[in-house]
Amino acid sequence: MTRDAFIARLRAGLRGLPAAKIADIVADYDTHFAEAAAAGRKEEDVAAALGDPDRLALELRAEAGLQRWEEQRNPSAAAQAVFAVLGLGAIDLIILLPILMWVLGVLLGWLAIAVAGTIGGAGVMVAGPFLGFPGGPAAAIFAGLGLLGGGVAAGASLTLVCIGLVNLLVWYGRLHYRLLKPAIDPQV
Amino acid sequence: MVEAVQVQLKKGVLELCVLALLSRADSYAYEIASRLAEGIDMGEGTIYPLMRRMQDDGLVETYLVESPSGPSRKYYRLTEAGKQSFTSQKAAWSAFAKAVNDILGDAQ
Repeated sequence: MTRDAFIARLRAGLRGLPAAKIADIVADYDTHFAEAAAAGRKEEDVAAALGDPDRLALELRAEAGLQRWEEQRNPSAAAQAVFAVLGLGAIDLIILLPILMWVLGVLLGWLAIAVAGTIGGAGVMVAGPFLGFPGGPAAAIFAGLGLLGGGVAAGASLTLVCIGLVNLLVWYGRLHYRLLKPAIDPQV
Repeated sequence: MVEAVQVQLKKGVLELCVLALLSRADSYAYEIASRLAEGIDMGEGTIYPLMRRMQDDGLVETYLVESPSGPSRKYYRLTEAGKQSFTSQKAAWSAFAKAVNDILGDAQ
């Protein structure tokens, strides 16, 4: 493969990343070819030593997604990280899908409990004293407070579990790098 | 089996090797990649993501140097944190290598 073909395929594979990031990466590999040429190496040999540009782009893009998740823990970064791992072909979708549906179902059930507890608890606490809650107003307030606390706790633990699941997936995805393998993992 | 072991070993010492090279002299990515490729048979392309991560971690910093032939080169040098990291990682590696050698020494 020639230098131009390698760079073109790398660039095409990186599409979707921020333009500045693409420019940085492409500049790195472009310089690499220039230095190698100055050292008297053939373009084809250099391209072969670098590996398949499509795969390289795939892994670089996945790594960008995973790093974003590690920097900013929010739902959109989590979704990006999950798709990045799927994009690596790390997990067979047919195997994953039933597991994913099951996990999703459990998480949704959990979410429902959290929301119902929070809203129900607040409702009992505020409205209970006026609507003749059995045991009197004080009991209503305490029962409501208890429910509310339970709901919030369920929500908080749900969030923690979700973060843990995505982290697990990120770790699993990184195991499937072929070209970047030695370079990426933070050393402990 | 031997190959899998080698991959794991390389993975662990790659950053240490880059720190060691840079502790001797500032260098640019292609030179680092060439040294590592011939020394420990590492894929050349892997140096770029590694250097970027080390820069993000504050272990190295860059400056541009005009090159007599071709475009200006991005040189890397160790930061204070990089020097400290090198010292501690080198000590850890030496201790580990010695422990493994002691065990290997007894076996055939």
